[in-house]
Amino acid sequence: MIDLHGFGDQLLQGALITVELAMASLAVGLVLGLLGAAAKLSSIAPLRWLATIYTTIVRGIPELLTVLIIYFGATIVLMAIASQFGYDDYIEVGPFAAGVTALGLTFGAYATEVFRGALQSIPKGQHEAATALGMGAFRKFQRIILPQVWRVALPGLGNLFLVLLKDTALVSIVGLDDIMRKANIAVSSTKQPFLFYATAAVMYLLLTIISMVVVTWLEKRASRGMRRG
Amino acid sequence: MSKAPALELIDIHKTFTDVEVLKGISLKAYDGDVISILGSSGSGKSTFLRCINLLENPTKGEIIFNGESLKLASSGRDLAAADMKQLTKMRQQIGFVFQSFNLWPHMTVLQNVMEGPAHVLKRPKQEVMDYAEHLLNKVGIADKKHMYPNQLSGGQQQRVAIARTLAMDPQVILFDEPTSALDPELVGEVLGVMRKLAEEGRTMLIVTHEMSFAKEVSSEVVFLHKGVVEEKGTPDKVFNSPDSERCRAFLSSTY
Repeated sequence: MIDLHGFGDQLLQGALITVELAMASLAVGLVLGLLGAAAKLSSIAPLRWLATIYTTIVRGIPELLTVLIIYFGATIVLMAIASQFGYDDYIEVGPFAAGVTALGLTFGAYATEVFRGALQSIPKGQHEAATALGMGAFRKFQRIILPQVWRVALPGLGNLFLVLLKDTALVSIVGLDDIMRKANIAVSSTKQPFLFYATAAVMYLLLTIISMVVVTWLEKRASRGMRRG
Repeated sequence: MSKAPALELIDIHKTFTDVEVLKGISLKAYDGDVISILGSSGSGKSTFLRCINLLENPTKGEIIFNGESLKLASSGRDLAAADMKQLTKMRQQIGFVFQSFNLWPHMTVLQNVMEGPAHVLKRPKQEVMDYAEHLLNKVGIADKKHMYPNQLSGGQQQRVAIARTLAMDPQVILFDEPTSALDPELVGEVLGVMRKLAEEGRTMLIVTHEMSFAKEVSSEVVFLHKGVVEEKGTPDKVFNSPDSERCRAFLSSTY
């Protein structure tokens, strides 16, 4: 058995933080992606511009910089807002909140394009069949369109999730106790960089493999009825 | 004798960019009427049908359903529903059967048929399921209720689509070339179901190329040409002694 010099528990705790960060960012990113896609396909021009500005900026900046800008910028912005309301104490945005915001924004920007493509791939007749039945717009989206969009978007979203899962390592730079930071701490204390970086790599690999299995299962489930039998 | 029509269309116009596809079409359908709408492609017959439940917004005209005029307001060049609630309610009572079926591929046959009454009309689940099974039985697909649309032939899919429409208990059903996307050997099974509906006294407007079917089941036949009603009357009149030269030419080329 490999000797982790007592850092095994620490690394496992880090893994938990990594998973939590990834899942929270995924939730934020899926919502942003759907909203972004809806905005891009909207007939209201300012909404389309807003979505284009969002995806252009976020996709054009390195994720590491996004994390840093959100982490340091959010404090400044929040304090400026708070001082408008007469609150002048120091407000700190934690690394976890900053990480969810930064990674959620990033995932959302890429997911916007995935959802946009998926929404556009649904034939007009699918909408019309629901409309002709007297189905309202919300119910039509929820019952008829979204399940089909989901099926088309899943492979793309699965890919983005793998990227997201690995990008969580960037948040260690602002002090989040994830796998990466725990590994760094272990390295500086034991002077065994290869051991701990390799262990961290295996942990990320395990998480990505589990994700792939889940995505494959979801894809199978979502494509029920789509194959000719 | 002064019974109001179930559905009345008055002076329907539709213009797409530069082309005026419908140039003022009026039509009355009384309860139990089966009206076939014929015409060559580009005559505007499908557009006309789609204007009735506002799948296509007409440029001008009036739609009266059950004595109630659909409130329309201009929206750009076209007219759009001014009262979405009224339109939605009307759509629930006017069924529409598409050329390309448009079944929802992520739902089973049974779920497709149940969707409307269960989630739009909010009827109790068990009642909806019993009714859906009854309808699938009626269109001869009961044994396929747990299959998905993509596992069925075109003719079977169209029969499911008809059952889906019937599940809403519509007062009028609009058929937009229901057999045009089918292989020839599958046309008969769909026409058989439609014939049964006509015999039950359902009110139907049918855009079709099936001349002998139209002749046999219709109470009235309308021939459209370039966006106007060129000929109109009983099947006997339209098929055997049309006034319009164009109508005669159309029939002799296709029938």
